[in-house]
Amino acid sequence: MENLIEAFWGITISIGVSALIFVGANRLFDLVVDRWFLFRAITGAICGAIFSAVLVGNRLVKGPSLLFIIVCALIFLALASIPSLISIRKYRVGVGLTMGAGVGLIITIFLKDLVNPEIQFTSLLVLVVAAALIYSFIAFTFRNFRIGGFLFFVMIGWVLGGWLLAEIGEGTKSSAYLLTVITFSLLGTSLTSGPERDLLGLNRFQEKTRVAAFLGPALLFVSLGLIIPLARTVYLSLHGIRGREWAGLKNYGEILTNKSSVDLSDWSNIFTSRLFVLALVLIFVGTIAGLLSGRKQGRILEPNGSFLTPSAIGAFLLIFAVFSTLRGTVINNLWWVIVVTLLSTGIGLLAAVLADRARFESAAKSLIFLPMAISFVGAGIIWKFMYIARPPKKPQTGLFNAIWVGLGKLNSGNAGQIIGVAILVAVTAGLVALSIFGVRRKQIGISLGSLFVSLPILWILYRLLGPGIGGVEEGPLGLPIGKPILFVQESPFNNVWLMVVLIWIQTGFAMVILSAAIKAVPTDLIEAARVDGANDRQVFFNVTLPTITPTISVIVTALIVLVMKVFDIVRVMTNGNFGTQVIANEMWQKTFTEFNLGLGSALATVLFLAVVPAMALNVRRMQRGAIQ
Amino acid sequence: MTTKTQGIKISQNSNPVDAAGKFVYRFLKAIPTWALWMLVIIWSIPTGSLFINSFRTRDAQRSTGWWTSFTEGGWTFDNYTTVLSSQQSGGMWQALINSFAIAVPGTVIPVAIAAMAAYAFAWISFKGREWLFIATVALMALPNQVALLPLLQLFAGGAHWTIPGTGSVMTLFPDLNLAGSTTAVWLTHTAFAMPFAIFLLHNYIAALPKELFEAARIDGAGHFTIFWRLVVPLSVPALAAFTIFQFLWTWNDYLVALTMVGGNGASYPATINIASMAGEFGMKEHVLSAGAFVQAGVPLLVFFFLQRYFVRGLLAGSVKS
Repeated sequence: MENLIEAFWGITISIGVSALIFVGANRLFDLVVDRWFLFRAITGAICGAIFSAVLVGNRLVKGPSLLFIIVCALIFLALASIPSLISIRKYRVGVGLTMGAGVGLIITIFLKDLVNPEIQFTSLLVLVVAAALIYSFIAFTFRNFRIGGFLFFVMIGWVLGGWLLAEIGEGTKSSAYLLTVITFSLLGTSLTSGPERDLLGLNRFQEKTRVAAFLGPALLFVSLGLIIPLARTVYLSLHGIRGREWAGLKNYGEILTNKSSVDLSDWSNIFTSRLFVLALVLIFVGTIAGLLSGRKQGRILEPNGSFLTPSAIGAFLLIFAVFSTLRGTVINNLWWVIVVTLLSTGIGLLAAVLADRARFESAAKSLIFLPMAISFVGAGIIWKFMYIARPPKKPQTGLFNAIWVGLGKLNSGNAGQIIGVAILVAVTAGLVALSIFGVRRKQIGISLGSLFVSLPILWILYRLLGPGIGGVEEGPLGLPIGKPILFVQESPFNNVWLMVVLIWIQTGFAMVILSAAIKAVPTDLIEAARVDGANDRQVFFNVTLPTITPTISVIVTALIVLVMKVFDIVRVMTNGNFGTQVIANEMWQKTFTEFNLGLGSALATVLFLAVVPAMALNVRRMQRGAIQ
Repeated sequence: MTTKTQGIKISQNSNPVDAAGKFVYRFLKAIPTWALWMLVIIWSIPTGSLFINSFRTRDAQRSTGWWTSFTEGGWTFDNYTTVLSSQQSGGMWQALINSFAIAVPGTVIPVAIAAMAAYAFAWISFKGREWLFIATVALMALPNQVALLPLLQLFAGGAHWTIPGTGSVMTLFPDLNLAGSTTAVWLTHTAFAMPFAIFLLHNYIAALPKELFEAARIDGAGHFTIFWRLVVPLSVPALAAFTIFQFLWTWNDYLVALTMVGGNGASYPATINIASMAGEFGMKEHVLSAGAFVQAGVPLLVFFFLQRYFVRGLLAGSVKS
């Protein structure tokens, strides 16, 4: 209960303070046009309070700090407001200069003696001149030179040279007086040097303050929370373990050469793997089909279903053959990106098309979309239960192993096997009948498609009758005992079982967006195609698909970015063990458990570099949108 | 020519004369529906099976699969009571409270800040607006990993700069001692959410009719009044969409919380709590299934009741209207 109250107050205070600051800033800026004097006074007091708080925070002030803050607020209030009452420019500058000197005097009284700087004239001179040159350069580039801005830059140069680069604590109190008084005289002069703003100027100034009030918080969070940390990560990645000593590109070299990140040593095994052979056969069959139908159409290669389907499956298997042989963190990440992106988008598109105008469409879509609401951690846990492998002699409680071992036990001449064979024979017969039907109707697509589907079924039938299918081995008494698959532990295909989790989540995302895109395809386009006699398939491939291609590319980009940084699932399910390490998890372990800040930052930078193309693509898309 | 002949062929075939053809075509036509529902069932099994398991006794979960429970029983509520009363790393109730303490400010504050920024980008003209907007929104793809360590260092010790040559240290950002607190987590979420939030809300706010703003300005309304009285009420659909999206995101987040909270069990949100239960998979299995549903309860409720807005948020972020 105590915690609840504490959390409640924490939330209320943080939201309340943020709202107060925002409303307060806007109320303050409302004063600009009508009550310019009041606005300057309040702004001056706030600036003084913030400035003094910074000094107090850095322990530079002696005496009671509250008194110092109040004094600072008051003198800044006076410095900001009083000169604006004087209309003659000459006198105003004079008052600004004198009051600035006074502010400097008062502040120096409060400064501790141990921060007295020793004035070094060379560094002072160099910095003041440098600041003046920088301002002049900017001013002349933008053709907008103002004496106030010039003096402000000179003041910054003065502060840097006089305080920051000086031997602090070595000097005398009088040098502290000199430096501070000149600093604030410069500030006072810079504030009062310009002409007093007229109504138009005030309005313009108010508009500017609004930009600051509305954009300020967002830009503050973006720069403090994203841009500066990004720069610091890149900086740390070029340094050693503690992030202090310079290391150049050593960390990046370690990522690229380390066996655990990229291990290409088994590359020759790719060509002997069964997946590779199967992939080649499929691509070969597809190409033959393409060539045959191409000859019929008078072209070299016909890009139709009977060419694309086997070739696409073959290419997909080829990816598996390559990535399951080459090992390492970076390879795993690439494998994740390719498989999850392709399958999520593919299945999502399939679901969107199937659900379009189906009965209970929204219910079906909402069930496929449901995993999006579950956390990655929760999804990892859910699938951990699906993948459980119990000891061989115990009943399997995970669905996958239950099916797998159950299939294995069919292979003992029992009723299950007979039923299984019967079902498979019936399905094959149906497919063959369908194929003959297709031939008779000269619908070569149906015929080839059903033959193609019947191939894996025939293979299962063969396994069921002959060597057996599923996880089973001969026990000590010659009885069959279950041999479950250790889905999470058996490398390299455990990676695929982890990818399934993310595909399960992201398919809903792809489906929802694609479904909306399909519904947005202009109906007159579809009707025109139908009038021309196109069937469902032709409408889809020639009208719908080209129209939704931009959306598909948006989804693919979003998924690539998301999958690249996959972390939670791997951490919860294997924590990178059993050859499932990915960059994000490696980065986390290196940084936050091994405290190798340099290497961890380099891994984070690699992730960043990997998404840079996607960022560039997004920017281009937006620019195009802005032009239209 | 070819398309024409094909078209004729197809129109012949879609009016089959004989009964066998009719049957086969009806069968083929039904395949999409069957495939859809197969997909739906496959997609629902993982969640459904864990849900069933969470109501089964420890022995039942360990000895048989969830599918046997329909015939053999073994139902119980004990897992939920165990989870909610457990004291592991601060306990589940505390974790749920922490999740709220992260997700509520981590949603409300970014929405407010981003709405303001989106308004400024859309309706206040200033130099470099286009450029600044694109630069901000481009950060949408930035992996959070690149900001984690520097932010943690900032929260844990502030930022200090040793002035070269002098050895004296200047504090650029004070040590607020936030590491290990839920505040550090939602502050990080606020920063990370900014680009997407601005992008999404800008899309909507920029599309509001221009005449509205002109009329308001003629009536003498300032930007603050226009924003508060006009833009906020008119953008409720977009604000709701992003709120729900961001709430689910922060509630379900694991990476940011794990990094910022570190070893401080008293600030763990529910995701870390169930993840650490999953780490002891062998022993805590029966409780874990219930724990996962306790954590997922809030997002699932949000999902079922506010799905429309969630989908709208996703769409606005991906498809340009």
